[in-house]
Amino acid sequence: MDLIEATGITKRYGGITALSDANFRASAGEVHALLGENGAGKSTFIQILAGIVRPNGGTLNLNGSTFRPGNAREAQAAGISAVFQELSLVPDLTVAENIWFRREPLSAVGMVRKDRERQATLDLFERYRIPAPSPDREVRRLTLAERQIVEIAKGLSRAPSVLILDEATSALPPRETDWLLGLATQLAEEGMLVIYISHRLAEVRQIAQRITVFRNGATVATHDTSAVDDDTIIADMLGRRMDRLYPERISTATDRVALRLRGLSVGSRLADIDLELKEGEVMGVAGLQGHGQRELFQSLFGISRARGEIELWGKPSTIRSPRDALIGRDGIALVPEDRRSHGLLLTKSVRENLTLSVIPRFTRFGLLSKGRERALVDEMLRTLQIKAGTPDQLAGTLSGGNQQKVIFGKMLLTQSRILLLYDPTRGIDVGTKGEIFRLMRDLAAKGYAILFYSSDLPEIVNVADRVAVLRNGRLAATLSGDEISEHRILREAMFEARAA
Amino acid sequence: MTLALPDETTSKQAADASAARDRAAWFIDRAPFLVACTMLVALVAVYGSLREGVFTLDELNLDSAAAMTLLLAATGQTIVLLRGGIDLSIGGMISLGTVLAATQFGDNPLQVAACSVAIALLGLLVGACNGFLISVLRLQPFLVTLATWSILSGAALMILPTDGGHLPDGWMAFGSDSLLGLSSSVWLLLLLMLFWVWFRATRLGIAIRATGSNERSAELSGVSIFRINIATYGLSGLFAALAALYLTTQTGTGSPTIGKDYILPSVAAAVIGGISLFGGRGGLIGTIIGAFILTIIGNLVFVLSISSYWQPIVSGVILLVAVLASSLAEKSARRSLS
Repeated sequence: MDLIEATGITKRYGGITALSDANFRASAGEVHALLGENGAGKSTFIQILAGIVRPNGGTLNLNGSTFRPGNAREAQAAGISAVFQELSLVPDLTVAENIWFRREPLSAVGMVRKDRERQATLDLFERYRIPAPSPDREVRRLTLAERQIVEIAKGLSRAPSVLILDEATSALPPRETDWLLGLATQLAEEGMLVIYISHRLAEVRQIAQRITVFRNGATVATHDTSAVDDDTIIADMLGRRMDRLYPERISTATDRVALRLRGLSVGSRLADIDLELKEGEVMGVAGLQGHGQRELFQSLFGISRARGEIELWGKPSTIRSPRDALIGRDGIALVPEDRRSHGLLLTKSVRENLTLSVIPRFTRFGLLSKGRERALVDEMLRTLQIKAGTPDQLAGTLSGGNQQKVIFGKMLLTQSRILLLYDPTRGIDVGTKGEIFRLMRDLAAKGYAILFYSSDLPEIVNVADRVAVLRNGRLAATLSGDEISEHRILREAMFEARAA
Repeated sequence: MTLALPDETTSKQAADASAARDRAAWFIDRAPFLVACTMLVALVAVYGSLREGVFTLDELNLDSAAAMTLLLAATGQTIVLLRGGIDLSIGGMISLGTVLAATQFGDNPLQVAACSVAIALLGLLVGACNGFLISVLRLQPFLVTLATWSILSGAALMILPTDGGHLPDGWMAFGSDSLLGLSSSVWLLLLLMLFWVWFRATRLGIAIRATGSNERSAELSGVSIFRINIATYGLSGLFAALAALYLTTQTGTGSPTIGKDYILPSVAAAVIGGISLFGGRGGLIGTIIGAFILTIIGNLVFVLSISSYWQPIVSGVILLVAVLASSLAEKSARRSLS
């Protein structure tokens, strides 16, 4: 018998239909992948399972009986634990306090038993061999990856019969990703149902027995993983065959140096970086998480203070704040890591988000010219194919892929020709990924210089003209042409150089 | 794809580095509180050098009595600030509380007790109404409590248009009662600390902090924002009522306008003590220190026999220093996070 049986689930938000006909059957003891483009309805569906959203129609059965959770708590009580991409951790509480939040062990007078809470946390970490940070650390001090792991630990702490992992690996470095994939398999073997949502097909293939694909709010198909090829899955997701994910790599780099770094250092985390980024070039930055990539990008955009020399288009430059970086055509623009909290104002419209940092471009004598603003916004919506109902739709209501396109639009409107892309495809569907890679190549062909980091190594291998590998905050190697391979990059990223 | 692990020494170094960062972070997080402690010590030292007998129990008794009304009001404010809100209505509640006490107490001890409980419950109810309006109508706490402040102040003026009324003699003796050499105000202070040690470790206390830290995360974890708002503002109203009752033991009158003198100082005491206006961070011990700092500034102005107008000026400067300290801490926290 199926543990979860959803038939004809529908959900509308106002006039927008998020789910029109979602069907899903999964049984205990399997890892069941849920795939689909952003906006296909996966998030809505799992929010329904998790009790956060109530469906408008359809039937949902859990263990053979009707299941209609009124809120997250009821779903959790029924054994469904969801680990969301949108992190549910409270920044000012510690790791242990977060994991047991609302379920704290209490003393006779209603005070939390810290000692027992801490021990329970350690037991939990040990039971699942969770590579988690110390229980006493405050969550706002943790990296994105550490938070993700704590979030997973919190999900496991309820000893659920259904564990939903939504893009859980998108923020994890390789080693932790391996841990999670192993854990998912182990949990399924122990009888749990693991519902696994990911845009990384390789991971899905590695652990899932079955795959259900959503498109435009409806279920397209459920496949046995062993009996289906990647092209079929991607075709199910897109509704058409995609030519190729990665655009053809034709080098458009010129001899002109757009960005030259001499001995760039940030604290103790980035040391002595010498780098030249050419006009028309896409340079990948690779390295294990925490080896200086973030510091490199942030210091170039003036977020962290760096020592050393920076030259933009041959002119020495001092970048102490984003204001120094955003200086028009000769400047630098950044697509930041965390688009929800750094890149976008979710409660503002698409139009406002696009034009916020470039208001001077359409003011005359200090007055806003609505016409010019509209023209610029329309142009961006068209160029980037942003799927927004109107430019006045709130950014927070767009799908992840479209949000990322808005950030790209915002960055392009600054006219800067040196672009820093920090993990621009994280948590984005395969169709939009393809569009973003093509956009990067198009921009390079127009003479833009692009520095590109991705947590998904194959992207760097397939898109970048050259790859700078960082290790312990130092430049370990600069690879080009045939040298660029996952194997070679990892070797440079992890071990001291050996005679080749 | 499987990956070999980086060798042991690197991860050992990384662990050491992160432990060092954690230690630095500990100090940075507490910077506003530590700055407040330093300021209090400095002020007490100056005060002690200018006057005899500062380091005695008598002085502690006096200062506790002087600080207690503000402190009770600031306790409610602290809870609201931790939740990420603000409560201006406490001014109205304090005024209303004093005039109700001065007009309704009479001289019968039983009636006094019943009225005290009724005033406390009224505070709870008024606060709960604030919480209700803020959650159900989704209005700004600042505006909602500004409105209820105005309504409560008007009600107080209707009941007693000018300062006056009558309070029983026994009631006013409260401040001068003492046990083991400590006045009832000092005992009240200790009780307040005990309350806080208990409250901050309860599920409600944690949920209030969590909601102030990140409302959406708290909600996703099963916190009912509606209930949290009712509880937070209800407690604030309750403490405002207690502040009013305490105030009447000191002044012996009802005053329909006195509450406004406590609105902004209650926020100032909390902020000086390290409570973040953005919610989630700080504690009552900081607020207590903040309240004592403000009280001792008053003493200093008195001892130096300079114009009393210096008091708000010095308070303002102290507030600026405190705010600067917390903003520096905030910035460095952000930087070390990214």
